[in-house]
Amino acid sequence: MYSGEKKTIFYVLVLYLSSTVLLITTLFSGYYLYEKERLWQEERELLSRYASELEVALSKLHESNEDTLVYPRNTAFRSAIYDSDKKLIFSTIESLIDIQGADFFTKNKNTYLITPLSPHYLGAAFLVIQTESKPLGILRDILYIALFIIAVVIITSYFLVNIILRPLRENIKMLDNFIKDTTHELNTPITAILANIETIDADGCDPKTLKKLKRIDIASKSISNLYQDLAYLLLNHQTSTQNQELNLSEIARERVNYFLDMAQIKRLRFALEIQEGVRFFADKNKIERLLDNILSNAIKYAKRDTTIQLFLDEHSLIIEDEGKGMSKEELERVFVRYSRFDKSQGGFGIGYNIVKSIVDEYGISIAINSQIDIGTKVELRW
Amino acid sequence: MVKFLTLLTLFFLHLSAQSDFDKNCMSCHGDDFKFYIIMKKYTLKYSSATSIKKAMFAYLKNPTLEASILPPEYKTKFGIKEKSDLNDETLKQMIDIYYDKYNLASKLK
Repeated sequence: MYSGEKKTIFYVLVLYLSSTVLLITTLFSGYYLYEKERLWQEERELLSRYASELEVALSKLHESNEDTLVYPRNTAFRSAIYDSDKKLIFSTIESLIDIQGADFFTKNKNTYLITPLSPHYLGAAFLVIQTESKPLGILRDILYIALFIIAVVIITSYFLVNIILRPLRENIKMLDNFIKDTTHELNTPITAILANIETIDADGCDPKTLKKLKRIDIASKSISNLYQDLAYLLLNHQTSTQNQELNLSEIARERVNYFLDMAQIKRLRFALEIQEGVRFFADKNKIERLLDNILSNAIKYAKRDTTIQLFLDEHSLIIEDEGKGMSKEELERVFVRYSRFDKSQGGFGIGYNIVKSIVDEYGISIAINSQIDIGTKVELRW
Repeated sequence: MVKFLTLLTLFFLHLSAQSDFDKNCMSCHGDDFKFYIIMKKYTLKYSSATSIKKAMFAYLKNPTLEASILPPEYKTKFGIKEKSDLNDETLKQMIDIYYDKYNLASKLK
């Protein structure tokens, strides 16, 4: 899985899932509300029918000449009658109802229908019918179906994302292989050029040729540096790490010397404050990569005729330049591979990515402070 | 003692009112087996005790064909009732006794 692929899968899943969940929620809420309304209407119709039945029974009772009038009772519902002053006349309902006019409502798991009555049989101006509310009972089913659909969507979307990403993965793999092959091919010519330049007798050359040779040397070192970075990135997992006790002070001086010619082109000065005999247990190649990348970046972005400061003691290494600096947004992305902020300068944007992987490997903390047009300060502490 | 005297007074007042009801109402309606039907008619139209009593009082003070709750054939046959010559207080008392005796709500079980 290449860097960012997890993020892509995550974003696609979130987007796909959230839209699906939204759709499911809308559909199921609509269905639930429709069913609720349907049940509501059914109950209302049933209670209206009970009210009509009660009205007929009351009218018969009103005409009765018996001394005692037996209020009509029904096992299917309970009822009450209220006069025009909303005063209770008779009730089989346990609680008193607040009559506000015609109404249909649910309270304490009971459904009530209040209907006005005219003529007022037995003095009843309002009939109240009460039944136990029917539970809708579809919420759990809806929830199970929704969860099942979401689970299916998660699985299918995962496969879908993988299918979509496959061509991208293949392209990246192809690119990686191409860079790997190219890197291998670069090794021999670069080594040959650098070895030959070193063997040339400078005293036997005229100043013009010497100047040209210096330029070739600088260019070769730049390519060599790039080669080392690419090799580190692409072959890192294939090379074994050989950690050993290093003299960091010596290596720091050596790397500064290595870049001296390059720095001279921009008339840069090095101010070194290196404590002698600083030891560090690590792989030499990796420490050189670490220093080379910080130094080459400092040289690349430093303003002409300025000073690059290098401070080294037992627990810290600080390299500070007076360059163009980086913005807050650029600083946030400085360790991301292939992040390039100045296209006019060479490079692939892999320098600080390598730095980060090395400092992480050796438990070194890194802090980069940068201000636009003032410079950048890289602090390593261990 | 006071309580006893109060209850005794109320009892005699009730007896007196009952006797007034017999004299003022039952003297004419006593052998009317359909006397309670009037209550049914009023209940059917006016529903609550307050409304029924108010409508009865208004009709007895000023009986009109429009205000009568009797069916048209009764009105044609018997005409409308004569205006009551009872004072307001006595008439209201008689109506209260009539309501208490014949109202339908109290018959419900």
